Amino acid sequence: MIRREFLKAASTAVGAATLAPWLLEREAAAAAEVDAVKSALAEAALTRARVLGASYADIRINRYRSESITTREQQVQNVARSQDFGFGIRVLVNGAWGFAASSVVTADEVRRVAQVAVDIARANAAFQRKRVTLAPVDSVTANWKSAFEKDPFDVPLDDKIELLLALNAIAMKTTGVSFVNSSMAWVNEQRFLATSEGSRIEQYLIRGQPQFNVTAVNRESGDFQTRRSFGGPQARGYEYMEKYPWKAEVQQAADEAVAKLKATPVEPGRYDLVIHPTNLWLTIHESCGHSTELDRALWWEADYAGTSFLTPDQAGKLRFGSPLVNIVADRVQTTGLATVAYDDDGVPAQRWYLVKDGIFVDWQTTRDLAPLIGRKTSYGCLNADSWGSVPFARMPNVSLEPGAQDTSLDELVAGVEKGILIYGDGSWSIDQQRYNFQFGGQTFWEISKGKVAGMMRDVAYQSRSTDFWGACDALGGRSTYQLNGSFVDGKGEPGQVGVVSHGCPAARFRQINVLNTSVSMT
Amino acid sequence: MLLTEAASREITRKVLGSVTADDAVVTVDSLDYSHLRFAANTFLTSGRREGVSVRVTTWIGRRRGSASTTDVSDAALKQAVEDAQAFAKLSPIDVEYLPSLSQQTYKPGGGYVDATARVDLPARARQISEAIAQSEKVKVVGAGFHQARLTARASATAHGNFHYERESLVGLGMTARTPDGAGSGYFSRNHFDVARLDTARIAREAIRRASDSRGARMLPAGAYPVILEAQAVADLLDSGGMSFDARNADEGRSVFSLPGGATRVGTRLFDPRVNIVSDPWRPELSKFTAADDGLPAQTMYLVRNGMVESLRYTRFWAQQKNRQPSGPLALILEPSTPGVSVDEMIRTAKRALLVTRFFYIRTVDPRSASVTGLTRDGVWYVEDGEIKYPVRNFRFNQSIVLMLGPGNVDQIGVPERVASSEGGIDPLLVPALRLNAFNFTSQSDAV
Repeated sequence: MIRREFLKAASTAVGAATLAPWLLEREAAAAAEVDAVKSALAEAALTRARVLGASYADIRINRYRSESITTREQQVQNVARSQDFGFGIRVLVNGAWGFAASSVVTADEVRRVAQVAVDIARANAAFQRKRVTLAPVDSVTANWKSAFEKDPFDVPLDDKIELLLALNAIAMKTTGVSFVNSSMAWVNEQRFLATSEGSRIEQYLIRGQPQFNVTAVNRESGDFQTRRSFGGPQARGYEYMEKYPWKAEVQQAADEAVAKLKATPVEPGRYDLVIHPTNLWLTIHESCGHSTELDRALWWEADYAGTSFLTPDQAGKLRFGSPLVNIVADRVQTTGLATVAYDDDGVPAQRWYLVKDGIFVDWQTTRDLAPLIGRKTSYGCLNADSWGSVPFARMPNVSLEPGAQDTSLDELVAGVEKGILIYGDGSWSIDQQRYNFQFGGQTFWEISKGKVAGMMRDVAYQSRSTDFWGACDALGGRSTYQLNGSFVDGKGEPGQVGVVSHGCPAARFRQINVLNTSVSMT
Repeated sequence: MLLTEAASREITRKVLGSVTADDAVVTVDSLDYSHLRFAANTFLTSGRREGVSVRVTTWIGRRRGSASTTDVSDAALKQAVEDAQAFAKLSPIDVEYLPSLSQQTYKPGGGYVDATARVDLPARARQISEAIAQSEKVKVVGAGFHQARLTARASATAHGNFHYERESLVGLGMTARTPDGAGSGYFSRNHFDVARLDTARIAREAIRRASDSRGARMLPAGAYPVILEAQAVADLLDSGGMSFDARNADEGRSVFSLPGGATRVGTRLFDPRVNIVSDPWRPELSKFTAADDGLPAQTMYLVRNGMVESLRYTRFWAQQKNRQPSGPLALILEPSTPGVSVDEMIRTAKRALLVTRFFYIRTVDPRSASVTGLTRDGVWYVEDGEIKYPVRNFRFNQSIVLMLGPGNVDQIGVPERVASSEGGIDPLLVPALRLNAFNFTSQSDAV
C-alpha cells in the first residue's frame, strides 16, 4: 500500500493516535523533583567515594534517547526508538583512575558502584608508575540546551516516514536508478555531571543524521554506481529536514548515480584538485583533527588508533601547511556536533587555533593531559559516548577558516588548467601517524582550461598530510563555507564513538596524486 | 550483572505477557565488562560496566514497531511494550514481515568458562605491570588493553520460541614502541577461557617485534610476494570489504554479482585450496549460535575448494529465493591441504614481505571487493629463506577476491583464533597466507 493510501486508512482506523509519553516526559513535568533526585544520587556517590579515599570523584547520570527510521524504495524497513539510562563514576585514588557504571539508578547502587570504582583504582594504584594530576577548573552550576528549533522527538512519525518515502520516490522515478535507501537518526543526550569539586551541570543536546544512497545498476555489464547524500549530520533539530533542500538533492543524486555509469574513468597521475566542503571536511578530520590530539602525540592511543606525526616540541615551529591554512578547534560553533557548554570535566567550551598561518601551534587537551605539556588549563576536550564509557580526550569541532576574500567556487576552478573538482565524501583511509592518506568521493568532474568539462569516475586522491596542506594555494570565501561531520568517529579502548563537525570553504590544492580505483574481475 | 537463564526468561515472560499485538520478539542482553588500559608504560584507565538492555519488536496487522530500555522494572518493561505497539500502529505495512519463530532446536555452544567470569583485579594489575616491566627492561614503551567480557543473550517470541546463551571472553593486545619512534611491534590474542590467555607471550611478541623493527628501510611501492600473518588475514577478512550477502548479489550490487543478473555461486572464484566456512561450534571459536531473533546458526560452506557454494540469506530473502536462512556467521578460512607454519613459509620463500597486520582498511570498490589500508607494526623483507631486514610501512590497494584467487595463493597456514586488530573483539579462525602478489601502492612514513 503506498503511503498516501496508508494515511487515509490510518486516520479512520487509528484516529488521533499519539505516542504514549516516555517515562522521561512524565519526569520532566516535575523538573525540580528530577533535579533533586539526581542531586541526591550524586551526593550519595561522591560522599561514598570520598569516604573510601578518593581524592577526586565525578558522577555522570545520563539519559540517551534515540530514534531511527530506515527505508528502501517504497517500504519502511524499521522504526525504532530506544532509551538508555544509567550512571558512571570516575575516581582518583592514590593517583590512579578507577571507573564503574551501572544501569540500575538507585542510591544503593550508586554507593555500591562507587566502591567498585575505588577498588579498581586502588588495585591499579599499587602498580602505577605516574600519578595522574588534574589542571584546575572553577566549579560551576549550569543548565544548557543546544541550539535547535524543533525537537525531532516531538515530530510525528508519519511526517518523517512520509518525507523519506517521498525522497525515495523522486529517486526511483529517474530512469536507470535501481535502488534507494534513506534514513533518519535522531539522538537526544541529557547529561548530568556532578564533581567532588562542586560542579553541577545539566546539558540537553539534540542532533540528527538524515541520509540517502541511490544505486544505479547496469545489469547487462554488471556495473553499479552509487551516490550518497551530501547533507551531513548536524546538531540541529527537525528544522534541518524542513530547511535543507533534500528533494532537490535526491533528484541530483539520482541523475548523477546514473551518469556515473557512463562517466570517463580517470587516468592516474597528478592533478590540481578543487575540493568542495562536502568532501574536504573528512580530510580535515583525519589529517588535522586527529593529528592534533595530544593523547595521540603522547602515545596514549598507540595500541589502537595510533600516534601522531606531531610531537609536543613542534608546537609553534612545524610548518603544517601553506600560510593560507588556519585550522580552528572549538566546542562553540552553533550547530557543531561537538558543541557543548561544558565538557565531561566541567571545563567550559572554548575556541582556539590548532594551526595558524600554516604553522602548527596547539593541541586538544583535557584536565589530565594539559599538565603534561606544562599547561595550566584544559581546552575542554573530555567526552564519553555513554554513561557506561570512561570519558577521555575526544575531538572538538575542527574547521578550516575561509579565505579573507569571498572567492567563489567558480573562481577556484577558473585557476586550474588540468584538474578535478570533487564533491561528497567516499572511501577514506589514513595511516596510524596521520601521514599517508587516501580519500575517494561521490562525484568527480574534469576541469580543463578553467572550466568544468565532464564527469569522471573511479577517482581517489592520495597524499601526505603536510604535503597536501602545503599544496593549498587558494581558499573559497565565507559564502562557500559549509559544516559537515561524522556521527561515528571511533577512538579509544574500549572503543567509543564520537560525534564531531568540520567546517570549511571550498579549497584548491596543486598537483596531488590521483589513482584509478577500479579493478577488473575478468 | 550477567543475567541467568531463569532471570532472562522471567523478563521475556513479563514483556510478552503485556503484549497485545499480533506478534512480538523480545531480546534481553546483559553485560559485565571490565578493562585495564595502559600506555607510555603506565596505567591509564580502568573500569567496569554492567547493564541490561531489553528490546521488544511488535507487529500489528503486519506493521512493525520497536522500542528498547535499560530499565527492567515492571513499569519500564510495560512502557517499552506500549511504545513498540504505538509505533507499530503508526507504521506502514512491513512488506518483509515473516511470523516470528516457533520453538527451534538449538545445538549448544561452548564459549563460556566460569573462571573467566571471575577476573581478579589485583592479579590483572600485576600481569599488566609485568608486561610494562618487560618493556622497561628492554627500553621500549608499552601500550595495551586488557578486557574481560561476559555477555548473555536471551530471545523469545510470541510463537513460543525461547533461547538463552552466554559467552565469556578475555583478551590482551599490546603495542611496543622504541623510544625514538623508529620501531613498533604489536601482538594480540583473546579466548573464552582465561587459562588459555598467555599474557606473558603476548607481551614478549609485541616487544620482540618492536626491537626487530628498528632500522627499517624504505622499499619502492609495487606488487610484492607476501607472507601475511594470521593477524593480517583476520584484519582483511573482518574489514567488511567482501560481503557474502545474498540479496546484494541477487540485486547486482556485489562482487558476487554477474552481468546479466546471475551470481557467482557455483563458480570457482578462489584458489582450490581455499575454504570459507561458518561454524560457531568449532571448539577454538565457540561463538553465539543464534541471531537476536532466535534464528539458529548452521554450519555452512560459503566457499568450498575455491568454489562459491553459498551466500548468506536473511529469513525474508531466503523465503523469496526458496533457500535456507543462514543465521549468524562465524567465519573460518581453512585450507583443503595440511597447513604450513609461518616459519616454513619463511624458510622456503625466495623473496617476500612478511606482514604482521593491517590498519585502517576501508572499501574502495565493492564491485571487486577492493580495499585500501596500510601495513603497521612490523614488515620484514625475506630473501632466500631468511628475514633480512625490517621495512617501512606501505599503503595498499587490493581486491580481497583476487588476493585469494587461483594463481595467487602460494601456501596456506594452520587456522588460529585471531580478532581484527582495529577494535575488533569477536574472533575468526584464519591462517597465515603466502601470496604471489599483493599491491602496495605508496610508501608511508608512519611507524
